[in-house]
Amino acid sequence: MSEKKSTSTAAVKKESLPAFEQTTAIEIHDLVVKYGSKRAVDGLTFKVPTGAIFGFLGPNGSGKTTTIKTLLGFRQPDGGSARVFGYDVASQSLQVRAHVGFVSETNSLYDFLTIPQLCAFCRSISLEWNQRVVDRYIGLFGLPAREKVGNLSKGMKSQLALSLALGSNPDLLILDEPTAGLDPLARHEFLNTLVSEVAAEGKTIFFSSHILSEVEAVSDWVAIIRKGKLVLCDELDHLKQTQKVVKLTYTELPPATEIEMLNSLPGVMSLAQEGRSVRLVAHGDVDALTQTIQARPYALRGVETVDLNLEDLFLEYMKEKNDGR
Amino acid sequence: MVVKELIEARWKAIICGLLALILVVVSAATYDLLKPALSNTSSQQMPQFLQQQVQQLTSSYNLYVWGNWFSKNGTEILAVLAAVLGAGLIAGEVSKGTIFLLLGKPISRERTLLTKYAVSALILLAVAMLSSMALLVTAAIAGHPQQIGGVVISTLLLCLGELFVLGLALLFSVLFKDVLRPLLCALIITILTAIPGFIPNWSAWSLTGYWSSQAAYLGQEFPTKALIICLVVAVLPLILALTLFRRQAY
Repeated sequence: MSEKKSTSTAAVKKESLPAFEQTTAIEIHDLVVKYGSKRAVDGLTFKVPTGAIFGFLGPNGSGKTTTIKTLLGFRQPDGGSARVFGYDVASQSLQVRAHVGFVSETNSLYDFLTIPQLCAFCRSISLEWNQRVVDRYIGLFGLPAREKVGNLSKGMKSQLALSLALGSNPDLLILDEPTAGLDPLARHEFLNTLVSEVAAEGKTIFFSSHILSEVEAVSDWVAIIRKGKLVLCDELDHLKQTQKVVKLTYTELPPATEIEMLNSLPGVMSLAQEGRSVRLVAHGDVDALTQTIQARPYALRGVETVDLNLEDLFLEYMKEKNDGR
Repeated sequence: MVVKELIEARWKAIICGLLALILVVVSAATYDLLKPALSNTSSQQMPQFLQQQVQQLTSSYNLYVWGNWFSKNGTEILAVLAAVLGAGLIAGEVSKGTIFLLLGKPISRERTLLTKYAVSALILLAVAMLSSMALLVTAAIAGHPQQIGGVVISTLLLCLGELFVLGLALLFSVLFKDVLRPLLCALIITILTAIPGFIPNWSAWSLTGYWSSQAAYLGQEFPTKALIICLVVAVLPLILALTLFRRQAY
């Protein structure tokens, strides 16, 4: 069932959010979504704080779109629960959608309509509509205001889709791969507007992507999923503080027993050796880890601690050996 | 939403509407010209039961017009229009990816589906009414004025019958993700429901037989049974489509 009967026969009234729900925009608990016997989302649990720009990462087929579809009521969960501003996505889908603006992965709009006709259509199926906001974003993106949608480029359609999603004054904006297929300039414009305009209004933005550089540029929270399971969910700044690369250079080739010992140290996520150089990816108290290593009876020429970027982190967490961490 | 549906369906409606108008006008205007030719043909190489049918239908202007429009061309062209409209209602949105724009908004799936269905039903009704008006006008000009009551009742029956095709196409449109399969399924099932009409003593099982009541057109009886059957049969696929659409995952 997409919606409970009690809420499905008519449009709901958009209610102001209860105080409690003003701190958590999305709360997913042990969510399971299946396609036949395959678990596309497998016990997913995380929260999205209100006001965050939340990057939802994962490789293709990891369950990002399925999670988003479940949040919006396009699919029903097979287990667990998900709430958006306190509303259950399975039984209160209309209330959820009353507070959410959504831009889909395909950015599909009605090509046979003109922009004003499309605006009128969206207004007719929204509880609240602010045409001035839509016009403002259309102007900001420099879209031809009276053009037929079919004549717009892919980048323009993405910008129009975002403008329309903002027309209903949503508290939460869910974007599924919003910049997929856009050229770097269009991507930059899109993301720039997202941060400088939309997030500045205090709206929560939840967006999936596999373009790590764009997520790193705009997000303040990230979650990484793999094969439907949560691998990581943290504030990006905290993540960068606690996840580092430690580069060790030994004066002599370290023995295999020492390498094994290093790999087993608490906080070491992965290790790579190249001759006398060893590269550790570590999380947690990295200073304590380097002190432990320096106290070992093998002469070190140098110890260097380097920040990880999101791409390094992502690749690290995607490694098969770390499955289930 | 209604405007968007109308804009989306406009070319289908215009093309089928024009075709329907041409056919109905030709049917109503050519009786006097074609009657001698049809009478000669009927006496030549036709099977006996067909000869009887042709003779009956050409025996009077009213029967000729009813047989040509309400029993044949009107049923067929409106069935095609209903199938074309219904097949694209949901499957068209899914195949183009616009279903997410639609379902991402805070309106219920029932309202979405019923609005789409209602707009298509109105288009069918408009085409059927325009055709019937054209029939009345052309018949009057040709010197064979028709009973308005019979035309209205026959148009109503025809519309109810076509709502079955629309509902059927909508049902398959919910089930399939492309437009072609719902269209074909709806048309094939519609053709199958017409087959009993060609089998002696089976005509009561022909659904299309109820869409075109000769007695009602000629003002001989009020087609209560046909109306009830057409109404029930029109509603059934719609209810099924609603139930399925409510549960469908996208």
